[in-house]
Amino acid sequence: MKLKKLQAFFLFALFLTPGILVAQTAEEIIAKHIEAHGGAEKWEKVEALKIKGRFTAFSLEKDFTSYKTKCGAYYSDLYLGEQHVFEGFNGNCGWTIDPWQEIEYARNINSSETNVFKQKAEFFTPFLNYKKKDHKVEYIGKENVDGEEMFVLKLTREDGKSEKWYLNTKTYLEYKCEAPWVDFAQPVPAEMYFDDFREVDGITIPFFIERTFWQRDRITQIESVEINPKIDKSLFTMPKRKEISKLAFMEGDWDVKLEFMGRRGTYRERGTTESCIKFASTNLLQEKISYENGFPNNLSINFTYDAGTKKYRIAAFNDFTSTFDMFQGELKDNVLVMEDTQVSYSDKPNATRMCRQFTYIKIDSNQFTVENKVSTDEGKTWKPQARLTYTRKVEDTLSKK
Amino acid sequence: MKKTNLLFTICALLFSALLNPAHSQEAPNQEWNQFRGAQRSGSTDNVELTSFTDKEPKLVWKKKLGDGFSELTISGGNIYTMISERKDSITGDEFIAAFDEKTGDEVWRTKVDNMFFDTFGDGPRSTPAIGEKNVYSLSSYGKLSANSKKDGKTLWQVDFMKEYGSKIPRWGFSSSPVLVGNNVIVEVGGTDSRAFMAFDKKTGKEVWKKGEGIATYNSPVHGKINDKECIIFANGRKVYSLTTAGDTLWTYNSPISNPTGMPIVFDGNKIFISAVRNPGFIVLEVNNNKAKEISRGTSMKNDYSSSIYHDGYVYGFHVAALQCISVKTGEKKWTKRGYGKGSLIRIGDQLLVLSDKGKLIQVKATPEAYIELGNIQAIDGKSWTAPSFTNGKIYLRNLTEMACYELK
Repeated sequence: MKLKKLQAFFLFALFLTPGILVAQTAEEIIAKHIEAHGGAEKWEKVEALKIKGRFTAFSLEKDFTSYKTKCGAYYSDLYLGEQHVFEGFNGNCGWTIDPWQEIEYARNINSSETNVFKQKAEFFTPFLNYKKKDHKVEYIGKENVDGEEMFVLKLTREDGKSEKWYLNTKTYLEYKCEAPWVDFAQPVPAEMYFDDFREVDGITIPFFIERTFWQRDRITQIESVEINPKIDKSLFTMPKRKEISKLAFMEGDWDVKLEFMGRRGTYRERGTTESCIKFASTNLLQEKISYENGFPNNLSINFTYDAGTKKYRIAAFNDFTSTFDMFQGELKDNVLVMEDTQVSYSDKPNATRMCRQFTYIKIDSNQFTVENKVSTDEGKTWKPQARLTYTRKVEDTLSKK
Repeated sequence: MKKTNLLFTICALLFSALLNPAHSQEAPNQEWNQFRGAQRSGSTDNVELTSFTDKEPKLVWKKKLGDGFSELTISGGNIYTMISERKDSITGDEFIAAFDEKTGDEVWRTKVDNMFFDTFGDGPRSTPAIGEKNVYSLSSYGKLSANSKKDGKTLWQVDFMKEYGSKIPRWGFSSSPVLVGNNVIVEVGGTDSRAFMAFDKKTGKEVWKKGEGIATYNSPVHGKINDKECIIFANGRKVYSLTTAGDTLWTYNSPISNPTGMPIVFDGNKIFISAVRNPGFIVLEVNNNKAKEISRGTSMKNDYSSSIYHDGYVYGFHVAALQCISVKTGEKKWTKRGYGKGSLIRIGDQLLVLSDKGKLIQVKATPEAYIELGNIQAIDGKSWTAPSFTNGKIYLRNLTEMACYELK
């Protein structure tokens, strides 16, 4: 008798604990939802997807190609109206080339865009392995949408941003989603509608996705889905700007032979040092180099390309003098000449100022030479001062530094 | 049956046949002679169309056309519309032009302004109004012109920016003029209470001015409210009801901001106004020259496409979803997606919907369900201009071409 009372008590307590019931219901719904998409087992074998089709923006329909990987990387080549747009995401950081923003090169995406790229990187449904992805899911209840009964699930991503998903109670497939989106990089709420579900090698995918936000309308019509295609992983990496890419010969770790001009007008070797040159951004190549010529010099040299002047620029910081120096120049016939003749650090003209020039010559994949010259006549004549010969380090000579 | 009775019956049948013409026949004089048709409502009554699946629309002609979104207005055997043509990548001209309704061949064109360039689509947005002898148009840079229907000769032109300090809106001057009596009435967006103005049709001289506000994208409605003739303007966040002489009947501070779609007057004293931002739509009821909001909702948010009212229901594009809602309750009756930001007109009890990519869909105008009667891919490319209909033919325009289909 006591046991029966105890059982009744526990059943009653369980009844008063809707959280447990709700959690079970959400899990059940998601399990059936994944099953409707082809089942977890089949999706487990999917490492990547290549999706091709037609994308409509501003009422113009154009081809698009997208790649998505299991680790959350995403790439797309699409047209937004008349403008050719590229997007890439490595699972953490993303970039876009979007001429609508009058930026012709790849730029980093902002936090709102990062959330959107995470959505785009999903294998269509975010509920697949949602726990592994640190998504939280809450079952809201049932709702009638456009005459059909829907399960409503609230999904919160690890960044705290949440989405509302409406799954058809008959098919368990998604019908609608309300999620944060972006319009010209600014956050906006969006609605997405999914239709035309088709099976591809046992997995079920919506071939029609319509997205509306504010007064915008975007339609994705999928034409083909390739499972586990070959993917060039460099697609996900932010592309360098075309002009700075021409300085890629400098990228790497180098042994540097130091020679300084002696009193007799000949170079005298003053030992060696190391240099490390890396792309730090889409239009920034950075060099770190230290040497002694009487005094210690630790230099941080930043190379960029200025589209306005169509010239390369160097901003070099020397921690001995604790000053920045600026240089500007061009790459012609495999010779990069950078000088400060066009840079003025004062409003007053200084007839006796000393200008400097750095010439990058003898460039090949494993070696190049930098000549440092000075001029006291605003660049009419130059006198050599130093010569640095860079030789690419081989694997086993790479400094542990 | 007596002979007199038989004669009476035959006469009655003939009379009835004349009043209720079958298959793509319509009452005479229902020309599509201004923006949204003769009544500015996007609707034509007393026409019964055959289902597209029973008889597919027949292409009569298809012609290249200068860029623009101006509707095709049809009168007296000609089509009148606004077009633009590039001279080079940064210059071009805007024209009012006439085309032969039967062939689509150009009859004449007259330059009215410089070409309007825009990344979303070049060319004029305003639709001309056709008068007895002249056609009246508003250019993208705010020049109101009267041109002879016969040969396009310019009779007069008023420059809003120069004369009235109007400023060009983001997508150019887009209001479509309406002809009322001897006047042409249009949104001007000028300074010193010149938001709306009436001009003498013959001379272009100012007749009256009224209202405050910059030029927006709304076109005036001409109709009757409580049996009184009036002009309705909706600019900024205000709705104006004016007499045809320009006197204010009433104004209403509206929660709807800058509607682009045409306000709809229905049930004799109610007005439906919708825009893409919240709250979406409102319904005003007018009694004793006072307007009162009787309902509002988010179930219909018109962007640049105007809705249609029919038998207690509004059919329109809720952003990019074709939708039917109850005008009383705002309840959504049905939704159909996939037509993008299309447009629609009503012919009898059918809706003719043009998707934003040129698909023409025949849909039953009923709140019961979305019932499609057929469709054809009528034109290709960006199609943001609502169709025009007259004499059993539908006239369609996309950004760069126009087409005529016979719906018999």
